[in-house]
Amino acid sequence: MRRKALRSLVYWLLLAPLIVVILFPFAVMFITAIKPPDEVLSPNWWPTHPRLWNFVEMWSATDFGNAILNSLYVSVLATLLALLVSIPAAYALSRYRFAARGAFRQFLLVSQMLSPIILVLGLFRLVVSLHLIDNVNSVVFVYAAFNIAFSVWMLQSYFSTIPLDLEEAAWMEGASPLTTLLRVFLPLATPAMVVTAIFTFINAWNEFVIALTMLRRQESYTLPIQIFSLVAGRYTVEWHYVMGAALVATIPVAVVFAWLQRYLVRGLTIGAVK
Amino acid sequence: MSRRATPYILILPGFLLAAFIILWPLKEIVQIATHDVNRFGMLRGFSGLANFDALFGDADFIATIGRTAVWTLGVVIGTLVCSLPVALILNQDFHGRSLARVIIMLPWAISLTMTAIVWRWALNGESGMLNSGLMKLGLLGTNIQWLAAASTAFPMQIAIGILVSIPFTVTIFLGGLSSVPDELYDAAAIEGAGALARFRYITLALVKPFINIAFVLNAIYVFNSFPIIWVMTQGGPANSTDIMVTYLYKLAFRWGKLGEAAAVSLLMFALLLAFTLIYVHLAMREREAKA
Repeated sequence: MRRKALRSLVYWLLLAPLIVVILFPFAVMFITAIKPPDEVLSPNWWPTHPRLWNFVEMWSATDFGNAILNSLYVSVLATLLALLVSIPAAYALSRYRFAARGAFRQFLLVSQMLSPIILVLGLFRLVVSLHLIDNVNSVVFVYAAFNIAFSVWMLQSYFSTIPLDLEEAAWMEGASPLTTLLRVFLPLATPAMVVTAIFTFINAWNEFVIALTMLRRQESYTLPIQIFSLVAGRYTVEWHYVMGAALVATIPVAVVFAWLQRYLVRGLTIGAVK
Repeated sequence: MSRRATPYILILPGFLLAAFIILWPLKEIVQIATHDVNRFGMLRGFSGLANFDALFGDADFIATIGRTAVWTLGVVIGTLVCSLPVALILNQDFHGRSLARVIIMLPWAISLTMTAIVWRWALNGESGMLNSGLMKLGLLGTNIQWLAAASTAFPMQIAIGILVSIPFTVTIFLGGLSSVPDELYDAAAIEGAGALARFRYITLALVKPFINIAFVLNAIYVFNSFPIIWVMTQGGPANSTDIMVTYLYKLAFRWGKLGEAAAVSLLMFALLLAFTLIYVHLAMREREAKA
């Protein structure tokens, strides 16, 4: 027992520098967010009078409510759309052997490697020609499309672990493939779909460059763009509001992510390797 | 509905959506890159490789290529060097390990935009908490204007790039380490292998394929990464912290040089394709080694 206690101490000391660097931004966010306005620019660490009222003011000063609604709209719809097209594709990859299977997987792999930034000019022209600039729906389609590869891989690596027997039994009974998919397979695959949906949601929630390019008016800004717009190209930045907004936008997602991160690697590595 | 058509019907919606959003813009980019184009995007006739010529005649862009290499290799190698010991520690049994894991994973959960905004504030010359913290610890005599010059801004951006890449890399390494059976260490210890020899010939040898995969995947992500540099300095001052993605964005949306922007896109696409082929090659080898 003594040995384990000693070892734990040594390990924690070894990890300490990294942990300090990781927690530092959170400290900066929180401390700045509760500083009274006249202390924000003074470099002291802890404010003389912590001020939680900042968060209330921040909400209206940064138009936070509107941005959060836009982010929710975009992330929910993008997630649903991505799942809607990815579930059948992942099912096909895990259950059927067909000629174009390899080609489709390669297409997914390449599309996973491409980040939207590489295509941003072409995407911009696509959205302009569809008259969807400044329309949050354009962002929905782009996010959904760029999450298909990831979703299909995640789902497929889980689908392959679900035994075929049950579906075969349903086919024997004369159920059509569609009925089997809806009634037998999907209920079993629910956990995988939930995990995939959450990761797609977080990707969309955090995305930056596409929203920056496609959304030009403040009414359509998502959270990252809204908060960035409070910082970029301004002479006076109200940092206590910016940090408050960053904190509120970050914490819920961080909690969910910390809880789910161990599932992620399966989709990212095994899915790609198999 | 015939059995043979079923899988194609199932993959069709996903394929169509992804293809539409990826192949159509790609076609546009190829077209723009090979045409003379005005700042509003009107094509004015085929120009061959003229846009590429203009790009390689641009000294700023040439400097950007070198900086992209430094950025990518700096972040990726730094990440691997920091992540391996962390993964080795987290693979051990000790008090509070799950808490340590959650903390190490935190940077992954935050959007890069938010991380970069927070650091932009923390690195502020007069009011930033990094300067004041370092001064309080006696490590710093005067304020450093971190983001005012590339010589301090760029290394900081690389350090932040490393910080946010560690969680993903540690997770991959933990996956690799969990595949190393304990009996191997016991057997080696009985044979008289020292701790260093066991680390080198067992741990490192078995984790090596995962190091390769982490290298390639990180290289792809970092090469593509836009928010850290854009949010902190927008590639400034005077384009001195630009990497290819931020330069591409400026060419396209600030300077209206659409032809050159499209040429950068195609160059990056070719490089990414090369990375991807390396990844597939490594992944296949890994799979064959297992089979």
